[in-house]
Amino acid sequence: MNLEEFQRILRQAFLVPVLALLALAGILLWQITDAQKAQRWLDQSDEVSAEIAELESLIMDQETGLRGYELTGDPGMLAPYKTAAPLITNHFASLRQMISDNPAQQANLSRISERYQAWLAFAGGVLTRPAALTNSGLDRRGGELMAGTRSAIRQMTQTEARLRQARLENTILLERREITVLLSGTLLVGLLLGFFSLSRLHRVSTAYRQSLALLDKRREKLRTILRSIGDAVIVCEADGSIEFMNPVAEALTGWPEDEAAGHLLGEVFHIVNEYTNEVAENPVEKVRRLNKVVGLANHTVLIARSGSRHVIDDSAAPILNQQGELVGIVLVFRDVTEKRRVETALAASEKLAVAGRLAASIAHEIHNPLDSIGNLHYLLAQETDPSRRAEYLELAQQELDRTLQISRSLLNLYREPNAPVQVNVAEMIGSVLLLLKRRLDNQGIKVAQHSADNVAVEGFPAELRQVLTNLIINAADAAGANGKIHVRSYAAQAEEFRGTGAIIEILDNGPGIPAEIGPKLFQPFFTTKGNHGTGIGLWISMGIVQKHGGAIQIGNSTDPEYPGARVWVYLPAHTMATSFSRSTPYIG
Amino acid sequence: METNAPFTVLCVDDEAIGLQIRKALLEHAGYHVLTALSGVEGLVIFESSPVDLVLLDYLMPGMNGGEVARRMRAVRSEVPILMHSACVDLPADVRELVDDVLSKGEGPEALLHRLRQVLEAALKRGM
Repeated sequence: MNLEEFQRILRQAFLVPVLALLALAGILLWQITDAQKAQRWLDQSDEVSAEIAELESLIMDQETGLRGYELTGDPGMLAPYKTAAPLITNHFASLRQMISDNPAQQANLSRISERYQAWLAFAGGVLTRPAALTNSGLDRRGGELMAGTRSAIRQMTQTEARLRQARLENTILLERREITVLLSGTLLVGLLLGFFSLSRLHRVSTAYRQSLALLDKRREKLRTILRSIGDAVIVCEADGSIEFMNPVAEALTGWPEDEAAGHLLGEVFHIVNEYTNEVAENPVEKVRRLNKVVGLANHTVLIARSGSRHVIDDSAAPILNQQGELVGIVLVFRDVTEKRRVETALAASEKLAVAGRLAASIAHEIHNPLDSIGNLHYLLAQETDPSRRAEYLELAQQELDRTLQISRSLLNLYREPNAPVQVNVAEMIGSVLLLLKRRLDNQGIKVAQHSADNVAVEGFPAELRQVLTNLIINAADAAGANGKIHVRSYAAQAEEFRGTGAIIEILDNGPGIPAEIGPKLFQPFFTTKGNHGTGIGLWISMGIVQKHGGAIQIGNSTDPEYPGARVWVYLPAHTMATSFSRSTPYIG
Repeated sequence: METNAPFTVLCVDDEAIGLQIRKALLEHAGYHVLTALSGVEGLVIFESSPVDLVLLDYLMPGMNGGEVARRMRAVRSEVPILMHSACVDLPADVRELVDDVLSKGEGPEALLHRLRQVLEAALKRGM
């Protein structure tokens, strides 16, 4: 079940009961309205009956008044007769209105009206005659007319009573139906909703069970992956207690997972500085402090339970939940003892390779003055003229000085102080160019050098010379026969991410760096020189510059005179590097 | 060629001091010495003056000794050339082109000895 389906079910579970209850309410409303209507008809019948009774009573009053007048001749007796007359007219009118829907009753009312009018006509006759002339015959005629009226009234009353009875029965029927509909409707809707909810719930719970199973499977798969991974992995809870360790981590720490579980990381993961043996900061603490991915300090050694030591590279990362709260820490590390040995050997071999590349031109540089000294010695042995001898000795001294200068430059490529020293950048560039002069001359390379005076950096001079030698040889190779290169250096101002120091730029007029090889330049064993290059020159150069806290960039030059590649090196005026710092780069 | 007149040696080398000392050595040994500080200068002298032998350096800025030797051979192929260099990896075709190769730093006796050998061999060829 996907999320969309789940939401559809949720919508159904809300809408269906609401709609069903609305329908039920509609039906009930209809039933109640029907019953109310029937009740109103019943009420109407009662009102009609009351009206008829009132009418009859008024007519009786009129007759009584008239009869009193006939018997006594006293006009005072006519008071009820006169009072009732307008009321009777009103009652007729209201009755006629009330039964406007019922033709049978209308006929009854008309009959009452006709007979009453007849009696009224008779009464009018009585009133026009003097009271003394009354007789019993006339009186009888009035009695008959009144009896007819009253029988018509009775008939209407009976008709209304029958109507009321019918309406009463209808009302009762409707009320019963209302209750039946209420009960059965509620029952039906209840049952329907019950079944509906059950089926939806069933679907959701099935899907939930499947999700749980899937989650379980994934969790198991994840654990299997973590177990099979070549790097050591330790997962900690937010409080730093160990939750999971894979077999590589078990092997490196010497702790089995079930034994380590629940222990604090610091009890299992002992790390110290490779050289000073000082305890290194617990990565869990570091992650908690910085709340981001952290790497280990240089030269970290993991001491296993058995006491064996492994140089490790590691990183620790926070595990955050969706709210961004720290819920755990994952630690990934690997044994780099062997890798470190290989890198050290590689760096040493590159140092030798630089010497190898220079050996021929250095031999030439030394042989030239040695040859001259040999010649001078031969001449001195045979020369007796003191002024000529003095001249030869002077020349011999010059050639000796030159030999010494070259051998000193060569030694400076190797001899390294134990701590960083002040290095004058212009002097360093000059001495490297001196060693390379013969080689560059031979290639027909013209070198322009512009170095600002008094720019100094702190560092390891032999390593920096190695970097410069590499970069200048690269530039010369790129420039090709009869090409030209430009080496310049100047003071670097402090900027946001760096302090003061020196910038050395090397430009050439070669073809520049093709875009596709740009990103590979600093990878080890990448070379564009075929069998003539080792492919680690730039890699080592980067390592050395990084070690000094500097930066190195290679791109294409915008200088029209040197349109090829441009290498930019920044070296800080003060370095944190020590003779223990690694000279191989951190890449990736 | 008169045997009692001094032989003329053309020395080509970009190292001014070394060249000056070598000139003194050869003159001391009785040769007449012409010097040139570059291959181009050496070629000009070679074309304009009589030369009995060329003592040629290999590694020079601009035109190297190999190229200089090739051009000299094209002008006067009978003039012997002794390649005298501190270069350790002299190309094979250059070795074949010149009469002999001598490493710098082998000492003045070796230089004078080889010079005489090359001259004598050339004289023998010329007879």
